[in-house]
Amino acid sequence: MNENNKQVILEAVNLTKKYDDGVLALDNLNFAIYENEIFAMLGGNGAGKTTTINIFLNLLEPTSGDAKVCGVSSHIEPLVVKKNLAYVSENVMLYPNFTALQNLDFFSQLGGQDSLTKDHYQEVLIRVGLAEQVHNNKLKGFSKGMRQKCGIAIAILKDTKAILFDEPTSGLDPKAGYEFIQLLNDLKGEGKAVLMSTHDIFRAKEAADTIAIMNDGKFLMKEKASTLFDKDLESLYMQYMAGHAPQPASEGV
Amino acid sequence: MLKTLVEKEIREIIGSPKFTYTFIVCLVLILLSFYSGAVSYKDNVTHWEAAKAENLQSFEGIKEWYRVQENRIFLPPQPLATLVSGVSNDIGRTSNIEPSGEVTADDSRYNEEPAYAYFRFIDLEFIFLVVLALFAIMLGYDAICGEKEKGTLKLCLSNAIPRTKFLMGKFIGAFSVLSISLIISIGLGCLLLPLLGVHLSSEEWIRLGLIVVAGLLYFGLFLAMSVMVSSFTQRTATSFLILLIIWISSTLILPRVAVMVSGRAVDVPTVDELGYQKAMYATEQWKSFLNSLDNYTPIENEDMEEVMANFNKFMDSISIAREERMNIYRSRLNEQRYNKELERSQIAFALARISPSSSLSLASSTLAGTSPELKDQFYQQAKNYQTSLKEFLNEKTGMNMGGGFIMTISESDAPEKDPIDPTEIPQFKFEPESLSKSVQKALPDFGLLILFNCIFIAGAFVSFNRYDAR
Ligand SMILES: Nc1ncnc2c1ncn2[C@@H]1O[C@H](COP(=O)(O)OP(=O)(O)OP(=O)(O)O)[C@@H](O)[C@H]1O
Ligand SMILES: [Mg+2]
Repeated sequence: MNENNKQVILEAVNLTKKYDDGVLALDNLNFAIYENEIFAMLGGNGAGKTTTINIFLNLLEPTSGDAKVCGVSSHIEPLVVKKNLAYVSENVMLYPNFTALQNLDFFSQLGGQDSLTKDHYQEVLIRVGLAEQVHNNKLKGFSKGMRQKCGIAIAILKDTKAILFDEPTSGLDPKAGYEFIQLLNDLKGEGKAVLMSTHDIFRAKEAADTIAIMNDGKFLMKEKASTLFDKDLESLYMQYMAGHAPQPASEGV
Repeated sequence: MLKTLVEKEIREIIGSPKFTYTFIVCLVLILLSFYSGAVSYKDNVTHWEAAKAENLQSFEGIKEWYRVQENRIFLPPQPLATLVSGVSNDIGRTSNIEPSGEVTADDSRYNEEPAYAYFRFIDLEFIFLVVLALFAIMLGYDAICGEKEKGTLKLCLSNAIPRTKFLMGKFIGAFSVLSISLIISIGLGCLLLPLLGVHLSSEEWIRLGLIVVAGLLYFGLFLAMSVMVSSFTQRTATSFLILLIIWISSTLILPRVAVMVSGRAVDVPTVDELGYQKAMYATEQWKSFLNSLDNYTPIENEDMEEVMANFNKFMDSISIAREERMNIYRSRLNEQRYNKELERSQIAFALARISPSSSLSLASSTLAGTSPELKDQFYQQAKNYQTSLKEFLNEKTGMNMGGGFIMTISESDAPEKDPIDPTEIPQFKFEPESLSKSVQKALPDFGLLILFNCIFIAGAFVSFNRYDAR
């Protein structure tokens, strides 16, 4: 359980999920994400990324295996697990008739943070890039990217050991996307473990410590970003997806 | 945690336009029902007092007690009928009491004013039954599937809150919002009552309070049911549709079907059939009465007074005997019919109670004193009154009143007699059922309402725990 004396935060052990209709969405998946680590799952539509995240959130029961957070299985003690997890969905939806601040207040309290003040909320909203003049606007007037920023703010406020991002950069403009990567690095610096699913190869390479390419519920590749440092991730991805696993010592670009 | 959820729920409901409309409609309808109830109560009181005065008037100029052949009695209007009309407008409220013979009641309000019968009055009970249930549905149909459609359910459940708590928050939030708006509306209505000249006794206030409690239980169960349906449907439109179907069947269809089914199950002879049988028997008795009269030979005596006394004595004996036989026959028929009727209505009510709307109706009308039993209560008390009227007249006239001939001598030169004093005639005073008895009778329906609440709340928890929140 140790990699340079770091603690494992998120862990999948032989994680398998077969849906009722017979689709094998996760096929004996194994990974471990340590504190101070950003783990990116790349993969096509239907690869099983959201399924993985849903099992961590106990919205799905695994068919077999475990999804563990700080050593606790999500389907055995979901409430303990959820205390240590923050989550940002691919399309953040909040209460449309509440303002940004009201939404933040409600979700922070749900997340167990009940001593936060308006100042905290505003600070975090500014940190995720939401201008102060919209903090008191109702969510129904927000664009997708603005909602995404609120969602990220909620995850930050929950202040957990692990954060799950499902396609966090979808809907963010280039500047916000860039800022999001900065933010991820900040969070990592605070010791958090981040599991992020994404279609964005560029951002994945930029931010992640570990990158996995997923297809049909399996990892085709799982590498430290440092070892991929000089490789063209995009062509690598294409090769994997086409079913030709490149030789271990494939040449760089 | 629960507090956060409840607060959010309340804030969300109060901030939504649907609540504003709901509250305004609720307030307007309730005030309207209080107003129209009060106005119609006062009409009824005026009507009742006029009828009583007119009845007294009809005795004017009568000098002999034996000429008082009948007295009309009237069921007084009940103040709570303004809020829960029950059967109060349907049953006969006037009864012509003769010293002997059948006691019947007629002149129902709806009989006199058919337009009202057609559209019925809007009373508080109707508002509870139909409108409140609909509001509960409107507040609850999207409790869970709406959060899912909005996309907020997943984010909520990614926090360490047990699903039961989440559901409780929904339920308590919606319940408190609507019950507070209801209590505000009813409170304003109650303030209106004395201004409109309707004064409730403290016992009637307690009854009204209990009716409101029944209404809240009914609202609670519809809310729980809506939350339950919302937690096994994926889409708000589906949930709303299912709930509308349940709403219509339970408020409008089920109770009527129950009465229809029980009508088929138990055959009750109609009043006309009974009337025919009684008339046949009466004719028979009349014939034998006349026969005995034929066989009467007046005594030989010079003294007219004695002849007359003898005749009257004979008359009394045969008419009392006839009357007794008729009474026995009539009451046997009536009792048979009453028992059948009772059996039928028991079946009807038992079946109808599948729908909680029936429980609410029965509980609230029992508490308001306007349940179907009102008819029986009036009938029983009218019968008792008949006895006391008969005793009174017998005493006044020294004869057995009713059902025979009376021989009198009119002495043209006798001194002018004073007219009778009609206020001496015993007054009819309707005794409503005691509070404790009403409560006792309403208790099973309260129990059913609570049971339905528990069932639906449990159902909501079970289905939400299995709900696919993704
Ligand atoms: N409720 C479900 N019932 C049956 N099969 C499902 C269900 N949800 C997902 N699947 C299947 O499971 C597989 C993995 O789906 P998943 O949503 O995890 O993919 P994903 O990697 O998140 O895709 P995307 O990038 O499009 O979001 C797919 O083949 C999908 O069809
Ligand atoms: Mg997905």
